Amino acid sequence: MTAAVDIRDFVVAYETGGGAVFALDGIDLAIGAGETLGIVGESGSGKSTLGMAIGRLLAPNARIDAGDILVAGCSVTTSDDETVRRLRRERLGFVFQNPMSALDPTMRIGRQVALAMEGTPDTAAVERLLVRAGLDEPGRVARSFPHELSGGMAQRVVIALAIARNPQILIADEPTASLDASIRDRILDLLFAMRAETGASLVILSHDLRMIVHRCERVIVMYGGRIVEMGESQAVFGSPAHPYTRALIRAAAGNEAPGEQLDPIPGVPPVLRAPSADCAFAPRCAHAAERCRRERPAERAVGGSRVACHFAEEIMAASGTAREVAE
Amino acid sequence: MIALASARLGRFFRRDSLGLLGAVLLLVLLILGIFGDLLPLGDPNAIGAGPRLGAPSLAFPLGTDDLGRSYLPRVVEGIGVTFLLSAIAVIITAVIGTLLGMAAGYLHGATDHLIARIADILFAFPALLFGLLAAAVIGPGSIAAIVVISTATIPLFIRVVRSVTLSVAEREFVVAAVVSGASTWRVMLVHLLPNILGAAIIQLTYALSVSMIIESALSFLGLGVQPPAASLGSLLRLGSVYLTIAPWLVLAPGLVLAAAIMSINLLGDAIRDALDPLRGRSLK
Amino acid sequence: MTDVAAPVIAFRGVGVTYRKGPVWNRTEVPAVGAVDLEIAAGETLGLVGESGSGKTTLGRVALGLIRPSRGEFLIEGRPFDPAIRREGALSVVLQHPEWALNPRLRCGVSVAEPLTIRGDLDRQARRQRVASMLERVGLDPGFAERYPGDLSGGQRQRMAIARALITEPRFIVFDEAVSALDVSVQAQILNLIRELQAEHRFAAIFISHDLAATRYISHRIAVMLKGDIVEVAPARTFYDMPAHDYSRALYATIR
Repeated sequence: MTAAVDIRDFVVAYETGGGAVFALDGIDLAIGAGETLGIVGESGSGKSTLGMAIGRLLAPNARIDAGDILVAGCSVTTSDDETVRRLRRERLGFVFQNPMSALDPTMRIGRQVALAMEGTPDTAAVERLLVRAGLDEPGRVARSFPHELSGGMAQRVVIALAIARNPQILIADEPTASLDASIRDRILDLLFAMRAETGASLVILSHDLRMIVHRCERVIVMYGGRIVEMGESQAVFGSPAHPYTRALIRAAAGNEAPGEQLDPIPGVPPVLRAPSADCAFAPRCAHAAERCRRERPAERAVGGSRVACHFAEEIMAASGTAREVAE
Repeated sequence: MIALASARLGRFFRRDSLGLLGAVLLLVLLILGIFGDLLPLGDPNAIGAGPRLGAPSLAFPLGTDDLGRSYLPRVVEGIGVTFLLSAIAVIITAVIGTLLGMAAGYLHGATDHLIARIADILFAFPALLFGLLAAAVIGPGSIAAIVVISTATIPLFIRVVRSVTLSVAEREFVVAAVVSGASTWRVMLVHLLPNILGAAIIQLTYALSVSMIIESALSFLGLGVQPPAASLGSLLRLGSVYLTIAPWLVLAPGLVLAAAIMSINLLGDAIRDALDPLRGRSLK
Repeated sequence: MTDVAAPVIAFRGVGVTYRKGPVWNRTEVPAVGAVDLEIAAGETLGLVGESGSGKTTLGRVALGLIRPSRGEFLIEGRPFDPAIRREGALSVVLQHPEWALNPRLRCGVSVAEPLTIRGDLDRQARRQRVASMLERVGLDPGFAERYPGDLSGGQRQRMAIARALITEPRFIVFDEAVSALDVSVQAQILNLIRELQAEHRFAAIFISHDLAATRYISHRIAVMLKGDIVEVAPARTFYDMPAHDYSRALYATIR
């Protein structure tokens, strides 16, 4: 597996009025060419920061404290602006949460699509791309302004823009979160179909573990700016090793027996004022011991996955192989 | 509350130096326009105070006009008159435009159609043509100028407010209010108005700069304020006659007008940027 | 739980047809065919189906926001009358936490609004009611003084639920009310709705594309397809094997 994106010991903090807040606390990750990778985490886990950092799209108050990101062997953090712009244009495709703010409200769709494509495409080429993105009336859509489209149509346009130059990496950050809940599946279908068509790697960021497991080959669970569990989707979902992953699965409706109560994770996600010296999940963890509050767990192989928890083996052994999925 | 507001204002201007420039410039012009006659600049209407068409000098910093009046106090008076007329007209525009725009955006149906069509018709009608008509009916002067400016700026105001209202009216807190029995008035005043105010204020700054241009154009054509009162437009009109022999007569009011419009637009842009959630994401 | 004599709400052959276009060129778009449903006090009916199946339209009928083109919609045995809204009999909780509350009002003012409209309590009494309601939904009463912008998505959704419950309504529509929330927050909100229903005995419609959340919170589930209800069954059925083909397809998505 050759890496399309190589992230090494990456640390990002945001400068805020109340001091620095760490969003990424040492990320090591290689994204393979053509793979589908899901990154799961609650709001504030750092997953959006990670997605944006790949395209050097971080907010101005973000500060890279350590590490590097290589896209197709080219450093995103140290390259000059023109190189990064070319990377974004030719290799990366982004799909954001809110399509309405991703599109230019003053420009007709057709023109925006044409600008995203290579060279100077004619109307027919623009419309072909819109059709590929599942838009039935490409002519009408091309003549429209963004506000004349529904959220779902606008997100299809954004996907068309993202695949316009056959990127090697598609990054989708909560691509359906702002959409009407009932069209989310279709947008995801489109996204994955486009990935298959272009052969790109797809990195999809979401808080919906079940969706990720259904659709992605590999899954990463993030918590407190770190990767706490990473592995094949089925393995992570079927026999989660990290207490946080287990808590996420227990909290999600769909795994409970009839009449059984869902178990929300107690407490709230941490705000990191410094790289954590211990386990960031310990305050919310039912298995936390003294060691967890003293020593930062290193990432290591457990079963087929990589897990950052001192007690991963014990926890897995204690609860049998897997928590049964309750259907 | 005031401390909080001023702190936010301070942050806002620190981020946006052009906006600060616009605000300061506008403030200076406003103070000049409002308190100008209290300053020891001389009498704007004293005929023969100096030579006719005199070049700028120590005694007459902006020269004198064709009747030998000192030009500096006349320009200052012109600033005041132009600002005053535009401001009155824009306030009328803002009040009517907000009411009609909100009604059109929230009430849908026949009301919306009627208001939208009226706005379209007004929008299609050239302001200057309308100015000629108004001057013929009401007679040239300040009232005619205000009527023309308001009619010219209202249509766009209605459109902007209407489209913002349409999007706010879909928000869930509006639906929730309706479900709990809120009256149409309550929805419009409590839920819609505060949420469209930002867009309305931005539109107001643009309407103000357009107003000043229209006012000047009307006065330039002799349809606005009548002598001996001076507005920037009427000064330009007078100055244009002597353009080749006394260019300062055009230059002074022209530059002031340009500065005023620029400052308003800079301020408007700054407000828009400050309200725009995407601000600050720089793509290098 | 469904053996209460009079249902709180009842749809009797309700159909909705949207009219589109100008008067001289009307086209009719059917949204809901003919729906018969009753919901009792203390009961939650889940309404699932894909985009355009008519579930949101049906929810809007239940709130009196859309008048049915055919059939009858009854609240406590009487045809819907908009005046019932001012009594605080109905409430709604919707999808997007960022739009749930008026950003220009303090949260306490938003939560109190249904009481303000009903107008039977003075300011002091309303304030007390808001404080106890906020406590009940797991928020610090001090949050009443804050603006929605200072709150997280889950906190805003709790606020919206506090507003929906403040008048102790007889009937609440939850339209995708947990769809925009993080999984863990979703579980908290679902549990909260369950507890509050046990206390207040309101009837509810829980509209969602997510069968997993719906079967967790509902007593019965109605599956909608192209404007019609194709299956109504106890929620337990949807843990096992629903009857209709389309229900099975939905069921397959959460396995």
